[in-house]
Amino acid sequence: MSPVAVTGLGVVSPHGDDALAMFAALMRAESAVKAVFPELPKPAAAALAPFDESRWFTKLQLAGVDRVSQLAVAAADLAMRDAGSPTDIAPERLGVFVGCGMGGAAALEAAYRGGARVPPLTIPAFMPNAPASHVAMRQRAEGPVLTYSMACASSAVAIAEAAKAVRAGEVDLAIAGGSEALIVPGVVLAWQAMQTLAGFAPDAAANAVRPFASDRSGFALGEGAAFVVLESDDHARRRGARRYASLVGWGLSCDATHLTKPHAPGQARALRAALRMAGLQPRDVGYCNAHGTATRIGDVVERDALASVWGDDLGRLHVSSTKALHGHLLGAAGALEAVITVLALHQRQLPPNAHCATIDPACQLNLVQGAMTAAPDLGAAISNSFAFGGTNSVLLFQRA
Amino acid sequence: MSSLKELQDLIHEKFGIAPSELDPTASMREKGMDSLALVEFVFAVEDRFGISISDEQSNVDTLAELAAHVDKVRAAQAT
Repeated sequence: MSPVAVTGLGVVSPHGDDALAMFAALMRAESAVKAVFPELPKPAAAALAPFDESRWFTKLQLAGVDRVSQLAVAAADLAMRDAGSPTDIAPERLGVFVGCGMGGAAALEAAYRGGARVPPLTIPAFMPNAPASHVAMRQRAEGPVLTYSMACASSAVAIAEAAKAVRAGEVDLAIAGGSEALIVPGVVLAWQAMQTLAGFAPDAAANAVRPFASDRSGFALGEGAAFVVLESDDHARRRGARRYASLVGWGLSCDATHLTKPHAPGQARALRAALRMAGLQPRDVGYCNAHGTATRIGDVVERDALASVWGDDLGRLHVSSTKALHGHLLGAAGALEAVITVLALHQRQLPPNAHCATIDPACQLNLVQGAMTAAPDLGAAISNSFAFGGTNSVLLFQRA
Repeated sequence: MSSLKELQDLIHEKFGIAPSELDPTASMREKGMDSLALVEFVFAVEDRFGISISDEQSNVDTLAELAAHVDKVRAAQAT
């Protein structure tokens, strides 16, 4: 069976819209997390994506298009351009697979808190499948155009589902990823109420997120969109496309135990399923881009899940959570981190696990720190995405 | 007094379409304003002038027709 090739990458991220420049910024451990909304009663921090919508939309085209869809259209377009702007794909053989946790938060915020009449296009702007539909219209994708919503695993699941469709021959090319744009006061207040966001001292927002550290206190929200272009290896070769990496395995599972409390056996099931599909052993995988939300419980559970699968080989697995630097993109997190994982394989470099001065003894992992970022022998890498709702998704990439 | 100039300014401000680009007697739909954009424009017109445009009238196709209707509503409100 022909492997699934990753032939295009596109991001609109807290570190900008150039995927390679974003990766370089992560390698320098530059944090995009900043204090936001000083008017709120409690300090808030988030990683906003710099974005000029006029590069992709006329003012007329922006009618009823929420920021979450704008980011998606831009990132998907960048991914397609990066894949060489393939023009010989029949529209009905082009699919779009998008993860989105919340939909158009800005449109809802304006409707609820705007203080004026509710704008007539609030519903089409808000609906969570709007990003996928806008990408489809822009790219003229007339095949399956699907939206997946499983909180923090949404876009990792979307990529896995796209790979399935490619492998099954349902599409010739898939644009797969996710978008999330919910940095608005109402949503930030809701996340603060959930008690999962990192606390931080004044002027220390950049270092607020400390995955696996003994002094970690949660995550910061991030916004952005990320997409990959997937096609069969044969198809990529025929059209002479650059192959960044191959998506050789994916594992999906559900904890089915608790809505918000993670569960190591459930995560381990997804990890094992991905390895089994790829026909790889744990020791074959050199890097894990962790879910690593820096919550007190989440990081320990993820470590336990990795330990139960990797066993004695756990020390050979280099681990980092880049959420310390780009925040938690929720529905877009899996896609952004998949792009980072693919670039780690392609560049043979491991992005650091930032802001972890003292590792929590309960999170003992071989974290990427200091000068250990070069990975000349890296052959395979995984990206973990574990969601509220219990859905676990693991993507396993191999060097092309 | 015709509201046409004010509508042209509003459409320029909101959608970036200059008065010279949109013949007041031409179909707005043919100019790229789909039904959703038109709904949003009519909403903006209502907000700007503090008027209410009935559903039947929101189906107008040209800027001149819309201006004539806005004139009528504003005149009725002024009396």
